[in-house]
Amino acid sequence: MRAIWFVSQIALFGLIASRMMSIPNYFQYYVAGLSVMTLYSAAIFIGFDIYEEAEHGVFEYLLSLPVSRKQLVLGRSIGGGLRAFIYVGPLIALSLYVIGATNPLSFLVALFALFLFSFGVSGMSITIAVIIKSSDRFDILMGVLDALIVRLSTAMYPLAVVQAANPLYGGLASFNPVTYAADLFRWGTGIEAIITLSNPLWPLLGIIAFFAFFTFFGVIIYDRRIEGGGWQ
Amino acid sequence: MPPIIQIQNLTKKFGNLAAVDHLDLEIEEGEIFGLLGPNGAGKTTAILMLATVIKPTEGTALVGGFDIRKSPDKVRGLLGIAFQEPKMLWVATPWDVVNWHAKVCGLSTEERKRRVKQVLETVDMWEPRHKNVHALSGGMRKRVEMAKVLIQRPKIAIVDEPTTQIDVVGKHKIWNMLLELRDEGSTIILATNELYEADRLSDRVGIMHRGKLLVCDTPKTLKDSILGGDIIDIQLEKDASPTIVEELKSFKEVVDIMQVKPTNLRLYLNRVEEVVPQIMNLLMKKNVPVNSIRMSEPSLDDVFAHYTGLTIEEAQKDEG
Ligand SMILES: Nc1ncnc2c1ncn2[C@@H]1O[C@H](COP(=O)(O)OP(=O)(O)OP(=O)(O)O)[C@@H](O)[C@H]1O
Ligand SMILES: [Mg+2]
Repeated sequence: MRAIWFVSQIALFGLIASRMMSIPNYFQYYVAGLSVMTLYSAAIFIGFDIYEEAEHGVFEYLLSLPVSRKQLVLGRSIGGGLRAFIYVGPLIALSLYVIGATNPLSFLVALFALFLFSFGVSGMSITIAVIIKSSDRFDILMGVLDALIVRLSTAMYPLAVVQAANPLYGGLASFNPVTYAADLFRWGTGIEAIITLSNPLWPLLGIIAFFAFFTFFGVIIYDRRIEGGGWQ
Repeated sequence: MPPIIQIQNLTKKFGNLAAVDHLDLEIEEGEIFGLLGPNGAGKTTAILMLATVIKPTEGTALVGGFDIRKSPDKVRGLLGIAFQEPKMLWVATPWDVVNWHAKVCGLSTEERKRRVKQVLETVDMWEPRHKNVHALSGGMRKRVEMAKVLIQRPKIAIVDEPTTQIDVVGKHKIWNMLLELRDEGSTIILATNELYEADRLSDRVGIMHRGKLLVCDTPKTLKDSILGGDIIDIQLEKDASPTIVEELKSFKEVVDIMQVKPTNLRLYLNRVEEVVPQIMNLLMKKNVPVNSIRMSEPSLDDVFAHYTGLTIEEAQKDEG
Protein backbone atom coordinates (compact mmCIF):
# COMPACT_ATOMS: atom_id res chain seq x y z
CA MET A 1 0.00 0.00 0.00
CA ARG A 2 2.64 2.40 1.12
CA ALA A 3 4.72 1.56 -1.91
CA ILE A 4 1.83 2.23 -4.25
CA TRP A 5 1.15 5.49 -2.50
CA PHE A 6 4.80 6.40 -2.75
CA VAL A 7 5.08 5.66 -6.43
CA SER A 8 1.85 7.47 -7.23
CA GLN A 9 3.06 10.46 -5.21
CA ILE A 10 6.24 10.52 -7.23
CA ALA A 11 4.44 10.07 -10.49
CA LEU A 12 1.65 12.55 -9.95
CA PHE A 13 2.48 15.19 -7.45
CA GLY A 14 6.22 15.14 -8.00
CA LEU A 15 5.98 15.60 -11.72
CA ILE A 16 3.22 18.18 -11.58
CA ALA A 17 4.84 20.17 -8.83
CA SER A 18 8.20 20.10 -10.49
CA ARG A 19 6.64 21.98 -13.38
CA MET A 20 5.15 24.56 -11.09
CA MET A 21 8.16 25.11 -8.86
CA SER A 22 10.75 27.34 -10.33
CA ILE A 23 13.54 25.30 -8.78
CA PRO A 24 15.99 23.30 -10.79
CA ASN A 25 15.87 19.56 -10.15
CA TYR A 26 12.75 19.88 -8.06
CA PHE A 27 11.74 16.35 -8.94
CA GLN A 28 14.87 14.93 -7.32
CA TYR A 29 14.44 17.27 -4.43
CA TYR A 30 10.91 16.05 -3.93
CA VAL A 31 11.76 12.37 -4.15
CA ALA A 32 14.37 12.78 -1.39
CA GLY A 33 11.85 14.61 0.78
CA LEU A 34 9.23 11.99 0.16
CA SER A 35 11.57 9.26 1.36
CA VAL A 36 12.05 11.08 4.63
CA MET A 37 8.31 11.69 4.99
CA THR A 38 7.59 8.04 4.44
CA LEU A 39 10.27 7.04 6.90
CA TYR A 40 8.70 9.39 9.42
CA SER A 41 5.24 7.91 9.14
CA ALA A 42 6.58 4.35 9.24
CA ALA A 43 8.58 5.06 12.40
CA ILE A 44 5.55 6.63 14.08
CA PHE A 45 3.87 3.26 13.87
CA ILE A 46 5.55 1.90 16.99
CA GLY A 47 3.21 4.07 19.06
CA PHE A 48 0.26 2.00 17.87
CA ASP A 49 2.12 -1.10 18.99
CA ILE A 50 2.21 0.32 22.49
CA TYR A 51 -1.57 0.34 22.55
CA GLU A 52 -1.68 -3.16 21.27
CA GLU A 53 0.67 -4.19 24.06
CA ALA A 54 -1.45 -2.45 26.65
CA GLU A 55 -4.45 -4.32 25.35
CA HIS A 56 -2.71 -7.67 25.47
CA GLY A 57 -1.17 -6.97 28.88
CA VAL A 58 2.35 -7.33 27.58
CA PHE A 59 3.57 -4.29 29.51
CA GLU A 60 3.81 -6.07 32.80
CA TYR A 61 5.86 -8.71 31.13
CA LEU A 62 8.20 -6.24 29.48
CA LEU A 63 8.56 -4.29 32.71
CA SER A 64 9.50 -7.43 34.63
CA LEU A 65 12.33 -8.40 32.30
CA PRO A 66 15.89 -8.29 33.60
CA VAL A 67 16.77 -5.19 31.61
CA SER A 68 16.88 -1.56 32.68
CA ARG A 69 14.15 0.85 31.64
CA LYS A 70 16.73 2.63 29.52
CA GLN A 71 17.56 -0.53 27.63
CA LEU A 72 13.89 -1.29 27.29
CA VAL A 73 12.95 2.08 25.79
CA LEU A 74 16.09 2.25 23.67
CA GLY A 75 15.41 -1.27 22.47
CA ARG A 76 11.88 -0.36 21.56
CA SER A 77 12.75 2.84 19.73
CA ILE A 78 15.64 1.24 17.88
CA GLY A 79 13.46 -1.74 17.06
CA GLY A 80 10.72 0.53 15.78
CA GLY A 81 13.21 2.64 13.88
CA LEU A 82 14.85 -0.36 12.26
CA ARG A 83 11.54 -1.79 11.28
CA ALA A 84 10.62 1.51 9.65
CA PHE A 85 13.94 1.49 7.86
CA ILE A 86 13.48 -2.01 6.54
CA TYR A 87 9.99 -1.05 5.49
CA VAL A 88 11.03 2.08 3.69
CA GLY A 89 14.37 0.67 2.53
CA PRO A 90 13.19 -0.23 -0.98
CA LEU A 91 11.71 3.23 -1.40
CA ILE A 92 14.95 4.84 -0.31
CA ALA A 93 16.78 2.65 -2.80
CA LEU A 94 14.34 3.78 -5.45
CA SER A 95 14.90 7.42 -4.68
CA LEU A 96 18.64 6.85 -4.75
CA TYR A 97 18.20 5.45 -8.21
CA VAL A 98 16.15 8.44 -9.24
CA ILE A 99 18.60 10.91 -7.71
CA GLY A 100 21.83 9.07 -8.40
CA ALA A 101 24.07 9.41 -5.33
CA THR A 102 27.55 10.70 -5.97
CA ASN A 103 29.80 10.79 -2.91
CA PRO A 104 29.75 7.53 -0.94
CA LEU A 105 31.12 9.03 2.25
CA SER A 106 28.59 11.82 2.57
CA PHE A 107 25.97 9.32 1.58
CA LEU A 108 26.94 7.10 4.52
CA VAL A 109 26.78 10.05 6.87
CA ALA A 110 23.32 10.86 5.56
CA LEU A 111 22.22 7.27 5.95
CA PHE A 112 23.45 7.27 9.52
CA ALA A 113 21.48 10.44 10.11
CA LEU A 114 18.38 8.81 8.66
CA PHE A 115 18.86 5.91 11.06
CA LEU A 116 19.05 8.24 14.03
CA PHE A 117 16.08 10.16 12.70
CA SER A 118 14.07 6.99 12.44
CA PHE A 119 15.00 5.90 16.01
CA GLY A 120 14.22 9.37 17.27
CA VAL A 121 10.78 9.40 15.65
CA SER A 122 10.09 5.98 17.18
CA GLY A 123 11.18 7.26 20.58
CA MET A 124 8.93 10.29 20.14
CA SER A 125 6.03 8.09 19.17
CA ILE A 126 6.50 5.85 22.22
CA THR A 127 6.78 8.86 24.49
CA ILE A 128 3.62 10.46 23.16
CA ALA A 129 1.76 7.15 23.25
CA VAL A 130 2.46 6.56 26.93
CA ILE A 131 1.58 10.15 27.77
CA ILE A 132 -1.74 10.06 25.94
CA LYS A 133 -2.82 6.52 26.80
CA SER A 134 -5.72 6.63 24.37
CA SER A 135 -5.30 5.12 20.94
CA ASP A 136 -8.05 7.27 19.46
CA ARG A 137 -6.57 10.50 20.65
CA PHE A 138 -3.12 9.27 19.67
CA ASP A 139 -4.38 8.58 16.20
CA ILE A 140 -5.77 12.09 15.82
CA LEU A 141 -2.75 13.77 17.34
CA MET A 142 -0.41 11.85 15.08
CA GLY A 143 -2.45 12.98 12.10
CA VAL A 144 -2.16 16.61 13.18
CA LEU A 145 1.50 16.25 14.03
CA ASP A 146 2.20 14.58 10.73
CA ALA A 147 0.53 17.44 8.87
CA LEU A 148 2.40 20.11 10.83
CA ILE A 149 5.80 18.55 11.09
CA VAL A 150 5.91 17.57 7.46
CA ARG A 151 4.40 20.77 6.06
CA LEU A 152 6.62 22.95 8.20
CA SER A 153 9.77 21.30 6.97
CA THR A 154 11.91 21.22 3.91
CA ALA A 155 10.55 17.83 2.91
CA MET A 156 8.52 19.25 0.05
CA TYR A 157 9.93 22.71 -0.59
CA PRO A 158 13.12 24.54 0.25
CA LEU A 159 13.40 26.61 3.39
CA ALA A 160 13.43 29.80 1.35
CA VAL A 161 9.96 28.99 0.05
CA VAL A 162 8.62 28.34 3.55
CA GLN A 163 10.34 31.45 4.80
CA ALA A 164 8.81 33.52 2.03
CA ALA A 165 5.33 32.24 2.86
CA ASN A 166 5.60 33.20 6.52
CA PRO A 167 8.71 33.97 8.57
CA LEU A 168 7.25 32.13 11.56
CA TYR A 169 6.77 29.00 9.49
CA GLY A 170 10.31 29.39 8.26
CA GLY A 171 11.54 29.63 11.82
CA LEU A 172 9.67 26.51 12.83
CA ALA A 173 10.83 24.65 9.76
CA SER A 174 14.45 25.33 10.55
CA PHE A 175 14.00 23.63 13.94
CA ASN A 176 12.38 20.53 12.64
CA PRO A 177 13.93 17.05 12.60
CA VAL A 178 12.20 16.32 9.32
CA THR A 179 14.05 19.31 7.85
CA TYR A 180 17.34 18.03 9.23
CA ALA A 181 16.77 14.56 7.86
CA ALA A 182 15.61 15.76 4.46
CA ASP A 183 18.47 18.24 4.13
CA LEU A 184 21.05 15.67 5.14
CA PHE A 185 19.65 13.09 2.81
CA ARG A 186 19.87 15.57 -0.05
CA TRP A 187 23.32 16.59 0.98
CA GLY A 188 24.38 12.96 1.17
CA THR A 189 23.01 12.17 -2.23
CA GLY A 190 24.68 15.16 -3.76
CA ILE A 191 21.75 17.43 -4.58
CA GLU A 192 22.56 19.94 -1.93
CA ALA A 193 23.39 22.53 -4.51
CA ILE A 194 19.73 23.40 -4.80
CA ILE A 195 19.16 23.85 -1.09
CA THR A 196 22.32 25.73 -0.24
CA LEU A 197 23.18 23.59 2.77
CA SER A 198 26.43 25.18 3.82
CA ASN A 199 27.26 22.99 6.79
CA PRO A 200 25.88 19.48 7.24
CA LEU A 201 27.06 19.51 10.85
CA TRP A 202 24.09 21.50 12.10
CA PRO A 203 21.33 19.24 10.87
CA LEU A 204 23.43 16.27 11.99
CA LEU A 205 23.70 17.71 15.48
CA GLY A 206 19.99 18.53 15.34
CA ILE A 207 19.14 14.93 14.60
CA ILE A 208 21.45 13.63 17.30
CA ALA A 209 19.83 16.01 19.77
CA PHE A 210 16.36 14.93 18.63
CA PHE A 211 17.23 11.28 19.07
CA ALA A 212 18.95 11.82 22.42
CA PHE A 213 16.10 13.90 23.77
CA PHE A 214 13.38 11.40 23.05
CA THR A 215 15.44 8.51 24.26
CA PHE A 216 16.24 10.23 27.53
CA PHE A 217 12.83 11.82 27.95
CA GLY A 218 11.18 8.62 26.76
CA VAL A 219 12.81 6.60 29.54
CA ILE A 220 11.58 8.98 32.22
CA ILE A 221 8.07 9.27 30.81
CA TYR A 222 7.79 5.55 30.13
CA ASP A 223 8.80 4.73 33.67
CA ARG A 224 6.33 7.23 35.13
CA ARG A 225 3.36 6.65 32.92
CA ILE A 226 3.29 3.03 32.01
CA GLU A 227 1.99 1.74 35.30
CA GLY A 228 -1.55 1.75 36.48
CA GLY A 229 -3.95 1.22 33.63
CA GLY A 230 -6.16 3.93 32.17
CA TRP A 231 -5.34 2.71 28.67
CA GLN A 232 -8.04 3.13 26.06
CA MET B 1 22.19 -15.73 56.20
CA PRO B 2 19.82 -12.77 56.01
CA PRO B 3 16.47 -13.44 54.35
CA ILE B 4 16.67 -13.11 50.57
CA ILE B 5 13.51 -11.04 50.53
CA GLN B 6 12.59 -8.58 53.27
CA ILE B 7 9.24 -6.91 52.78
CA GLN B 8 8.79 -3.90 54.99
CA ASN B 9 5.51 -2.12 55.47
CA LEU B 10 4.72 -2.66 51.80
CA THR B 11 1.48 -0.99 50.75
CA LYS B 12 -0.31 -0.43 47.48
CA LYS B 13 -3.46 1.59 47.23
CA PHE B 14 -5.74 1.74 44.23
CA GLY B 15 -7.86 4.75 45.07
CA ASN B 16 -9.26 4.01 48.50
CA LEU B 17 -8.65 0.32 48.33
CA ALA B 18 -5.51 -0.93 50.02
CA ALA B 19 -4.82 -3.95 47.82
CA VAL B 20 -1.70 -4.65 49.89
CA ASP B 21 -1.89 -3.20 53.36
CA HIS B 22 1.31 -2.65 55.35
CA LEU B 23 2.77 -6.03 54.60
CA ASP B 24 5.80 -7.26 56.55
CA LEU B 25 7.31 -10.53 55.50
CA GLU B 26 10.66 -12.28 55.20
CA ILE B 27 11.45 -15.02 52.75
CA GLU B 28 14.47 -17.26 53.24
CA GLU B 29 16.88 -18.21 50.52
CA GLY B 30 16.13 -21.59 48.95
CA GLU B 31 12.61 -22.05 50.24
CA ILE B 32 9.30 -22.38 48.49
CA PHE B 33 7.15 -19.75 50.07
CA GLY B 34 3.45 -20.25 49.53
CA LEU B 35 1.47 -17.05 49.43
CA LEU B 36 -2.02 -18.25 50.05
CA GLY B 37 -5.18 -16.23 49.91
CA PRO B 38 -8.62 -15.97 48.34
CA ASN B 39 -9.34 -13.92 45.20
CA GLY B 40 -8.58 -10.28 45.75
CA ALA B 41 -6.34 -10.91 48.77
CA GLY B 42 -3.55 -8.89 47.19
CA LYS B 43 -1.16 -11.67 46.17
CA THR B 44 -0.64 -10.53 42.60
CA THR B 45 -0.32 -6.90 43.63
CA ALA B 46 2.37 -7.81 46.18
CA ILE B 47 4.20 -9.85 43.57
CA LEU B 48 4.08 -7.10 40.97
CA MET B 49 5.61 -4.71 43.46
CA LEU B 50 8.42 -7.15 44.20
CA ALA B 51 8.99 -7.51 40.47
CA THR B 52 9.21 -3.67 40.21
CA VAL B 53 6.38 -3.71 37.69
CA ILE B 54 4.23 -1.45 39.85
CA LYS B 55 5.42 1.00 42.46
CA PRO B 56 4.50 0.80 46.14
CA THR B 57 2.38 3.54 47.66
CA GLU B 58 4.27 3.09 50.89
CA GLY B 59 6.98 0.88 52.32
CA THR B 60 9.49 -1.12 50.38
CA ALA B 61 11.22 -4.47 50.07
CA LEU B 62 14.79 -5.65 49.84
CA VAL B 63 15.31 -8.34 47.26
CA GLY B 64 18.72 -9.97 47.43
CA GLY B 65 19.80 -6.92 49.39
CA PHE B 66 18.58 -4.46 46.76
CA ASP B 67 15.81 -2.01 47.46
CA ILE B 68 12.96 -2.33 44.97
CA ARG B 69 12.55 1.44 44.93
CA LYS B 70 16.20 2.42 44.68
CA SER B 71 17.72 -0.34 42.57
CA PRO B 72 14.90 -1.82 40.50
CA ASP B 73 17.30 -2.85 37.72
CA LYS B 74 19.33 -4.95 40.15
CA VAL B 75 16.18 -6.51 41.55
CA ARG B 76 14.88 -7.49 38.14
CA GLY B 77 18.19 -9.14 37.41
CA LEU B 78 17.45 -11.66 40.16
CA LEU B 79 13.83 -12.36 39.34
CA GLY B 80 11.88 -14.46 36.95
CA ILE B 81 8.12 -14.39 37.00
CA ALA B 82 5.36 -16.54 35.57
CA PHE B 83 2.29 -14.33 35.48
CA GLN B 84 -1.17 -15.31 36.52
CA GLU B 85 -2.48 -14.11 33.17
CA PRO B 86 0.04 -15.28 30.63
CA LYS B 87 1.69 -12.35 28.91
CA MET B 88 2.40 -13.18 25.33
CA LEU B 89 3.85 -11.06 22.63
CA TRP B 90 0.90 -10.90 20.32
CA VAL B 91 2.46 -12.26 17.20
CA ALA B 92 4.26 -15.33 18.28
CA THR B 93 4.36 -19.04 18.79
CA PRO B 94 5.34 -20.83 22.02
CA TRP B 95 8.77 -21.34 20.56
CA ASP B 96 9.17 -17.61 19.83
CA VAL B 97 7.94 -16.64 23.25
CA VAL B 98 10.33 -18.89 25.13
CA ASN B 99 13.25 -18.24 22.81
CA TRP B 100 12.79 -14.48 22.98
CA HIS B 101 12.58 -14.61 26.73
CA ALA B 102 15.76 -16.67 26.95
CA LYS B 103 17.50 -14.21 24.65
CA VAL B 104 16.55 -11.23 26.78
CA CYS B 105 17.72 -13.13 29.85
CA GLY B 106 21.11 -13.48 28.22
CA LEU B 107 21.30 -17.13 27.18
CA SER B 108 23.72 -17.78 24.33
CA THR B 109 22.42 -18.93 20.95
CA GLU B 110 23.89 -22.39 21.45
CA GLU B 111 22.39 -22.86 24.87
CA ARG B 112 19.08 -21.43 23.78
CA LYS B 113 18.66 -23.89 20.97
CA ARG B 114 19.14 -26.79 23.33
CA ARG B 115 17.24 -25.48 26.32
CA VAL B 116 14.20 -24.16 24.46
CA LYS B 117 13.56 -27.64 23.18
CA GLN B 118 14.22 -29.21 26.54
CA VAL B 119 11.98 -26.81 28.44
CA LEU B 120 9.13 -26.96 25.93
CA GLU B 121 9.26 -30.72 26.13
CA THR B 122 9.11 -30.59 29.91
CA VAL B 123 5.89 -28.60 29.82
CA ASP B 124 4.49 -30.72 26.96
CA MET B 125 4.51 -27.82 24.54
CA TRP B 126 7.09 -29.03 22.06
CA GLU B 127 4.60 -30.46 19.65
CA PRO B 128 2.41 -27.33 19.35
CA ARG B 129 5.49 -25.06 19.41
CA HIS B 130 4.67 -23.48 16.07
CA LYS B 131 1.02 -22.78 16.77
CA ASN B 132 0.01 -19.17 17.16
CA VAL B 133 -0.39 -18.36 20.85
CA HIS B 134 -3.93 -17.19 20.17
CA ALA B 135 -4.81 -20.68 19.08
CA LEU B 136 -3.66 -22.16 22.39
CA SER B 137 -5.96 -23.16 25.22
CA GLY B 138 -5.76 -21.40 28.58
CA GLY B 139 -3.89 -24.29 30.14
CA MET B 140 -1.41 -24.40 27.27
CA ARG B 141 -0.70 -20.72 27.68
CA LYS B 142 -0.04 -21.25 31.37
CA ARG B 143 2.44 -23.95 30.43
CA VAL B 144 4.28 -21.60 28.09
CA GLU B 145 4.31 -19.02 30.86
CA MET B 146 5.89 -21.57 33.17
CA ALA B 147 8.44 -22.47 30.51
CA LYS B 148 9.78 -18.91 30.65
CA VAL B 149 10.74 -19.29 34.29
CA LEU B 150 12.14 -22.74 33.73
CA ILE B 151 14.44 -21.59 30.96
CA GLN B 152 15.54 -18.56 32.92
CA ARG B 153 16.33 -20.45 36.13
CA PRO B 154 16.28 -17.22 38.10
CA LYS B 155 17.68 -16.86 41.58
CA ILE B 156 14.19 -15.96 42.72
CA ALA B 157 11.26 -17.44 40.81
CA ILE B 158 7.81 -15.99 41.30
CA VAL B 159 4.93 -18.09 40.07
CA ASP B 160 1.42 -16.70 40.28
CA GLU B 161 -1.18 -19.47 40.40
CA PRO B 162 0.92 -21.66 38.10
CA THR B 163 -1.48 -24.57 37.83
CA THR B 164 -4.88 -22.96 37.39
CA GLN B 165 -6.47 -24.21 34.19
CA ILE B 166 -3.96 -27.04 34.01
CA ASP B 167 -5.10 -30.65 34.11
CA VAL B 168 -4.24 -33.02 36.94
CA VAL B 169 -1.31 -34.69 35.21
CA GLY B 170 0.04 -31.29 34.22
CA LYS B 171 -0.33 -30.01 37.77
CA HIS B 172 1.82 -32.78 39.15
CA LYS B 173 4.43 -32.15 36.51
CA ILE B 174 4.58 -28.47 37.33
CA TRP B 175 4.78 -29.18 41.04
CA ASN B 176 7.71 -31.45 40.42
CA MET B 177 9.38 -28.81 38.29
CA LEU B 178 9.00 -26.28 41.06
CA LEU B 179 10.49 -28.68 43.59
CA GLU B 180 13.39 -29.34 41.22
CA LEU B 181 13.91 -25.64 40.68
CA ARG B 182 14.12 -25.16 44.42
CA ASP B 183 16.52 -28.08 44.79
CA GLU B 184 18.74 -26.46 42.19
CA GLY B 185 18.95 -23.46 44.49
CA SER B 186 16.19 -21.06 43.44
CA THR B 187 13.97 -19.38 45.96
CA ILE B 188 10.34 -19.66 44.94
CA ILE B 189 7.32 -17.58 45.75
CA LEU B 190 4.19 -19.49 44.92
CA ALA B 191 0.99 -17.47 44.96
CA THR B 192 -2.05 -19.65 45.04
CA ASN B 193 -5.56 -20.02 46.31
CA GLU B 194 -5.36 -23.78 46.24
CA LEU B 195 -4.84 -25.05 49.74
CA TYR B 196 -3.65 -28.43 48.64
CA GLU B 197 -1.03 -26.94 46.35
CA ALA B 198 0.27 -24.60 49.03
CA ASP B 199 0.37 -27.39 51.58
CA ARG B 200 2.09 -29.85 49.33
CA LEU B 201 4.82 -27.62 47.97
CA SER B 202 5.54 -24.91 50.46
CA ASP B 203 8.27 -24.93 53.03
CA ARG B 204 6.44 -22.05 54.62
CA VAL B 205 3.05 -20.54 53.98
CA GLY B 206 1.81 -17.01 54.49
CA ILE B 207 -1.92 -16.50 54.50
CA MET B 208 -3.12 -13.21 53.04
CA HIS B 209 -6.55 -11.75 53.41
CA ARG B 210 -7.64 -8.27 52.34
CA GLY B 211 -4.11 -7.08 51.78
CA LYS B 212 -2.84 -8.22 55.15
CA LEU B 213 -0.75 -11.15 56.24
CA LEU B 214 -2.68 -13.16 58.83
CA VAL B 215 -0.10 -15.80 59.73
CA CYS B 216 3.09 -17.21 58.38
CA ASP B 217 4.77 -20.50 59.26
CA THR B 218 5.41 -24.03 58.03
CA PRO B 219 2.22 -25.78 56.91
CA LYS B 220 2.71 -28.31 59.72
CA THR B 221 3.07 -25.74 62.46
CA LEU B 222 0.06 -23.86 61.15
CA LYS B 223 -2.06 -26.96 61.14
CA ASP B 224 -0.82 -28.09 64.54
CA SER B 225 -1.49 -24.68 65.96
CA ILE B 226 -5.21 -24.91 65.53
CA LEU B 227 -7.54 -26.78 67.83
CA GLY B 228 -6.64 -30.31 68.70
CA GLY B 229 -4.55 -31.01 65.67
CA ASP B 230 -6.55 -34.05 64.49
CA ILE B 231 -9.97 -34.33 62.96
CA ILE B 232 -12.40 -37.21 62.66
CA ASP B 233 -15.61 -37.19 60.72
CA ILE B 234 -18.28 -39.56 62.00
CA GLN B 235 -21.32 -40.32 59.94
CA LEU B 236 -24.22 -41.82 61.92
CA GLU B 237 -27.14 -43.76 60.59
CA LYS B 238 -29.62 -41.51 62.42
CA ASP B 239 -29.48 -37.93 63.59
CA ALA B 240 -27.10 -37.41 66.48
CA SER B 241 -28.90 -36.66 69.72
CA PRO B 242 -27.75 -33.78 71.92
CA THR B 243 -26.88 -36.21 74.68
CA ILE B 244 -24.51 -38.15 72.46
CA VAL B 245 -22.84 -34.92 71.42
CA GLU B 246 -22.48 -33.94 75.09
CA GLU B 247 -21.01 -37.33 75.97
CA LEU B 248 -18.50 -37.09 73.15
CA LYS B 249 -17.56 -33.62 74.33
CA SER B 250 -16.78 -34.98 77.75
CA PHE B 251 -13.64 -36.71 76.48
CA LYS B 252 -10.83 -34.48 77.57
CA GLU B 253 -8.99 -35.00 74.27
CA VAL B 254 -11.94 -33.67 72.28
CA VAL B 255 -11.52 -29.96 71.80
CA ASP B 256 -14.55 -29.15 69.75
CA ILE B 257 -17.41 -30.75 67.87
CA MET B 258 -19.11 -29.38 64.81
CA GLN B 259 -22.40 -30.88 63.71
CA VAL B 260 -21.89 -30.51 59.99
CA LYS B 261 -25.19 -32.20 59.18
CA PRO B 262 -27.75 -33.77 61.59
CA THR B 263 -26.06 -37.12 60.99
CA ASN B 264 -22.49 -35.91 60.55
CA LEU B 265 -20.17 -34.89 63.33
CA ARG B 266 -16.74 -33.40 62.95
CA LEU B 267 -14.55 -33.78 66.02
CA TYR B 268 -11.42 -31.71 66.59
CA LEU B 269 -9.26 -33.63 69.01
CA ASN B 270 -5.84 -34.69 70.28
CA ARG B 271 -4.22 -38.14 70.46
CA VAL B 272 -6.63 -39.54 67.96
CA GLU B 273 -5.16 -43.09 68.06
CA GLU B 274 -6.15 -43.49 71.72
CA VAL B 275 -9.51 -41.79 71.62
CA VAL B 276 -11.06 -43.36 68.56
CA PRO B 277 -11.43 -46.84 70.11
CA GLN B 278 -13.01 -45.30 73.20
CA ILE B 279 -15.43 -43.32 71.07
CA MET B 280 -16.36 -46.43 69.12
CA ASN B 281 -16.99 -48.29 72.36
CA LEU B 282 -19.19 -45.51 73.67
CA LEU B 283 -21.28 -45.38 70.51
CA MET B 284 -21.72 -49.16 70.53
CA LYS B 285 -22.72 -49.18 74.15
CA LYS B 286 -25.30 -46.44 73.53
CA ASN B 287 -26.58 -48.33 70.54
CA VAL B 288 -25.83 -45.58 68.03
CA PRO B 289 -25.14 -47.21 64.66
CA VAL B 290 -22.22 -45.70 62.77
CA ASN B 291 -22.11 -45.64 58.97
CA SER B 292 -18.55 -44.49 58.63
CA ILE B 293 -15.73 -42.96 60.52
CA ARG B 294 -12.96 -41.13 58.80
CA MET B 295 -9.87 -39.61 60.18
CA SER B 296 -8.49 -36.51 58.55
CA GLU B 297 -5.70 -34.13 59.24
CA PRO B 298 -6.53 -30.49 59.50
CA SER B 299 -5.98 -28.79 56.17
CA LEU B 300 -4.91 -25.26 55.48
CA ASP B 301 -8.58 -24.61 54.93
CA ASP B 302 -9.07 -25.21 58.63
CA VAL B 303 -6.17 -22.87 59.30
CA PHE B 304 -7.69 -20.25 57.05
CA ALA B 305 -11.08 -20.68 58.70
CA HIS B 306 -9.46 -20.45 62.09
CA TYR B 307 -7.89 -17.09 61.34
CA THR B 308 -10.64 -15.48 59.30
CA GLY B 309 -13.77 -17.23 60.54
CA LEU B 310 -14.50 -18.00 56.90
CA THR B 311 -13.80 -20.94 54.67
CA ILE B 312 -11.73 -19.96 51.68
CA GLU B 313 -14.78 -20.41 49.44
CA GLU B 314 -16.77 -18.02 51.59
CA ALA B 315 -13.94 -15.54 51.47
CA GLN B 316 -13.82 -15.76 47.67
CA LYS B 317 -17.55 -15.07 47.46
CA ASP B 318 -17.09 -12.25 49.89
CA GLU B 319 -14.68 -10.54 47.53
CA GLY B 320 -16.72 -11.29 44.43
N1 LIG C 1 -4.71 -2.06 38.54
C1 LIG C 1 -5.64 -2.10 39.49
N2 LIG C 1 -6.49 -1.07 39.66
C2 LIG C 1 -7.42 -1.08 40.62
N3 LIG C 1 -7.59 -2.10 41.50
C3 LIG C 1 -6.79 -3.16 41.40
C4 LIG C 1 -5.77 -3.23 40.39
N4 LIG C 1 -5.12 -4.41 40.54
C5 LIG C 1 -5.71 -5.04 41.57
N5 LIG C 1 -6.71 -4.30 42.10
C6 LIG C 1 -7.54 -4.68 43.26
O1 LIG C 1 -6.67 -5.01 44.32
C7 LIG C 1 -7.16 -6.12 45.04
C8 LIG C 1 -6.12 -7.20 45.08
O2 LIG C 1 -5.98 -7.75 43.81
P1 LIG C 1 -4.92 -8.87 43.47
O3 LIG C 1 -4.97 -9.11 42.02
O4 LIG C 1 -3.61 -8.50 44.05
O5 LIG C 1 -5.51 -10.13 44.25
P2 LIG C 1 -5.04 -11.64 44.21
O6 LIG C 1 -4.78 -12.04 45.59
O7 LIG C 1 -3.95 -11.83 43.24
O8 LIG C 1 -6.38 -12.36 43.69
P3 LIG C 1 -6.56 -13.60 42.69
O9 LIG C 1 -6.49 -14.83 43.51
O10 LIG C 1 -7.94 -13.39 42.15
O11 LIG C 1 -5.52 -13.51 41.66
C9 LIG C 1 -8.45 -6.53 44.37
O12 LIG C 1 -9.53 -5.99 45.10
C10 LIG C 1 -8.37 -5.91 43.00
O13 LIG C 1 -9.64 -5.58 42.52
MG1 LIG D 1 -3.73 -12.87 41.56
